[in-house]
Amino acid sequence: MNRVHVVKTILWALVGLGLAVAISRFAFGLGATTNLTDATPWGLWIGFDVMAGVALAAGGFVITAVFYMMRRKEFHPMVRPAVLTAFLGYVAVVFSLLVDLGLPWNIWHMMIYWNPHSPLFEVGWCVMLYTTVLLLEFSPVPLESTSRYAKIRTFLMKFRFPLVLLGIMLSTLHQSSLGSLFLIMPFKLHPLWYTKILPILFFISAVGLGLMMVSFESLVSGWIYRKKPETHLVAKLGKAAVWVLGVFLIVRFVDLGIAGKLGLIFAGSWESFLFVAEILIMAVIPMIIFANPATRNRVGWQWAGSFMVVFGAVFNRINVGGLTMVSTTGDAYFPSWMEFAISFGVVSFMILIFLFAIEKFHIWEEQPRELEADPHAKPRFSRAGEVWLGAPAVAGRTKYSFAFVLALAIGFAIMPGKKLHSGGIENVPVEAARGGDTLYVDGNRDGYGVAFKHEFHIDTLGGDQSCVRCHHMNMPMDFASGCFNCHSQMYQAVDAFKHDWHASPSGGNVACNECHAEGENRTAASAKSCESCHTDLIPAGATIEIESYMAPAYTDAMHDMCIGCHREVNQQRAELPEQKDLALCGTCHTTAGPEYLRADVRERLKRPEFNRVVMPGLSLEDGK
Amino acid sequence: MSVAILTDITRCIGCLECVAACKREYNLEVDVPRRWQNNDGLSAENWTSVLHKPGPHYIRKQCRHCLEPACASACPVGALHQTDIGAVMYENDKCLGCRYCMMACPYGIPRYDWDEQVPYVRKCILCHDKVKAGGQPACTSVCPTEATIFGDRAELLAEAHKRIKENPGKYIDHVWGEHEVGGTSVLYISDINLDFLCYKPNMKTSLPTTTEAAMKSVPVAFVGMGGVMLGLNWIIKRRQKLKEGEAPEGDEQ
Repeated sequence: MNRVHVVKTILWALVGLGLAVAISRFAFGLGATTNLTDATPWGLWIGFDVMAGVALAAGGFVITAVFYMMRRKEFHPMVRPAVLTAFLGYVAVVFSLLVDLGLPWNIWHMMIYWNPHSPLFEVGWCVMLYTTVLLLEFSPVPLESTSRYAKIRTFLMKFRFPLVLLGIMLSTLHQSSLGSLFLIMPFKLHPLWYTKILPILFFISAVGLGLMMVSFESLVSGWIYRKKPETHLVAKLGKAAVWVLGVFLIVRFVDLGIAGKLGLIFAGSWESFLFVAEILIMAVIPMIIFANPATRNRVGWQWAGSFMVVFGAVFNRINVGGLTMVSTTGDAYFPSWMEFAISFGVVSFMILIFLFAIEKFHIWEEQPRELEADPHAKPRFSRAGEVWLGAPAVAGRTKYSFAFVLALAIGFAIMPGKKLHSGGIENVPVEAARGGDTLYVDGNRDGYGVAFKHEFHIDTLGGDQSCVRCHHMNMPMDFASGCFNCHSQMYQAVDAFKHDWHASPSGGNVACNECHAEGENRTAASAKSCESCHTDLIPAGATIEIESYMAPAYTDAMHDMCIGCHREVNQQRAELPEQKDLALCGTCHTTAGPEYLRADVRERLKRPEFNRVVMPGLSLEDGK
Repeated sequence: MSVAILTDITRCIGCLECVAACKREYNLEVDVPRRWQNNDGLSAENWTSVLHKPGPHYIRKQCRHCLEPACASACPVGALHQTDIGAVMYENDKCLGCRYCMMACPYGIPRYDWDEQVPYVRKCILCHDKVKAGGQPACTSVCPTEATIFGDRAELLAEAHKRIKENPGKYIDHVWGEHEVGGTSVLYISDINLDFLCYKPNMKTSLPTTTEAAMKSVPVAFVGMGGVMLGLNWIIKRRQKLKEGEAPEGDEQ
């Protein structure tokens, strides 16, 4: 296998995996595929795909500025790859946005509903316009391969210079506006990154990154196709990058100094570590590499230096995009594997298009030779040696298709079906309260729970036959229904009567009159009451009256266990006003765990915040 | 008219009637605890919640309806906007789901329908339609202890300061929401510190102004960069011409 085949096979597999995830993202929603939360609404797709994608596309405007505006003709071999990279970078951004947006079919709303106060409005317009400009800028290249479109090509070539100029102007806006996005979050972004000149810093770093991205892309694509590396050009770009990164460092540190934030670098916090790593990787070490003539002209050092700038700049965008907000929001977000799969899938797809363009069009001065084996090649017989010269074992395209389909299938196979419900009713921690039938159910898994009277529920629901009403009846593999399945609406009474479940054993479609009075409209009002058939439905001494088909609301069901007695006692003690607080909410809803719980459970209850329900002393009268 | 809600923490008994009223008013559905929820009780199905703090103290949490809302300033399509009474409203039909409002909110209020295929942003809307019709929000209308009351913002501010003055030692001398982030329509007075409601306490900055300078310099940067590039091109072209005697026409790519 040669390099091209290996690289393409891997890329196709990543595209397949990404496609499987993309389908499930639209089928099941963002919650099912991402680890995003209300506290971290922007994740990998914004921090990496959009923020870093735009930054990596900076090579396009930097090189066109160097070639067309500064008229440095020696960079000619790099112009076409750079413009193509920029175009594909923006297409990748658009793809990722379509996946990330909650309502991607409304993306065109930016064109008709204007809010010019919003930096995101500017970002949106820049993406739309610059992608179009890049398409027009690049399209003469594929058009030149056939004479049919010569007229269109000539027409576009007339506007080459204004298009390039417009592209540079739009890029200036767009690179900086990604920084403006975060100006509105002085409360969230760490002070080492938050500054009023964030847009300017984003622009300067984008120029430096653009120079190095073109270099890195030239080195990598050269390596894949075993082409001689453009060492002398990379060295020149590196020399320029030293100046740009130097300016970046000066502006960055002077700004920090004026704001008096330099001390934060040595605070030893998570953020100060991120800051030092970012500055070293993105600027200081590459500057040392490219400032020294001995290392500047060596291919190995060029690989290292350009990769560090690219990696460091992506790191910087991710830091601003969320990593440095973690300590404020307190939400430790880490992307799910599915978010990574989409990101890698989109990037891989763009690289494949890039490789395709290099092979088919005149991107490089010297086109690489056709490396695709003929998919339908038959073995040839060599008359000289009297042997069969075999066709390539598996031709390229067959391999790619196989990798793609296999990854797609694997993607679907390993997709977690239950992620949507995580934190929900599954695996609810249930503790038996000491010495009794009362269970302590931590339905929210936050260390706080409610007391659940098991025997009481058995009695009210129909004795020995009633297990199925709660246990393993809702879904396969479902162990028990959550409280809310019957006490469904927290604050409303709810219909717990399952009509079909009753109709079928009664005789199906001919049995309506078994329950509904003949001649009446078949509504709940005309039906028999539950207890006329289920004579044992209400056990003697039950506190809750079943009047209709309604289960008591969740809160009522919980309260009825205690509050009835409390009220009674309250009434008896009406002559003792100082004792009146027996039925007040705060009497039960305290922040301490009930005494009857095991020590380790009580330990968990020491969390101070948001105590939902703790019912002191419930089992003392009830559980034995 | 600018309306407001004043919540007196010392009066709240944590009965959750306001939460129930809100759910009834907007037919909000079952709120199953989810991975993506914060533990403050707010969610796409719970637009107001009551936090419990040791004491016990009960603190009602809801959208603060900032006088200068960061979310409305951030929304690229104006799906979030402020109405004439001061409520910050959300329009389903405009939203494209970028969630920039959730990033921009200093109180971390807006919630998302993460488990929906067609998700929207959800938060308290100050019962705008009821207020417009001359009524008051569902939550304040049911409060049994008048811990949370509705009225004109100026009058409620005066009432808050009056209560603080008349009960020395009972309250902390601060009205939360009077000045923070340019002032909010939902005010609190309390006997415990409520700074935890905001990501950054005592932030006086009005957030929409933070992006204003950058947005205003957009046309300047756009035209400026064009001018710089054209000038650069002209100078270098001229210099090359002088150097080589004749201009080589080399605009091929």
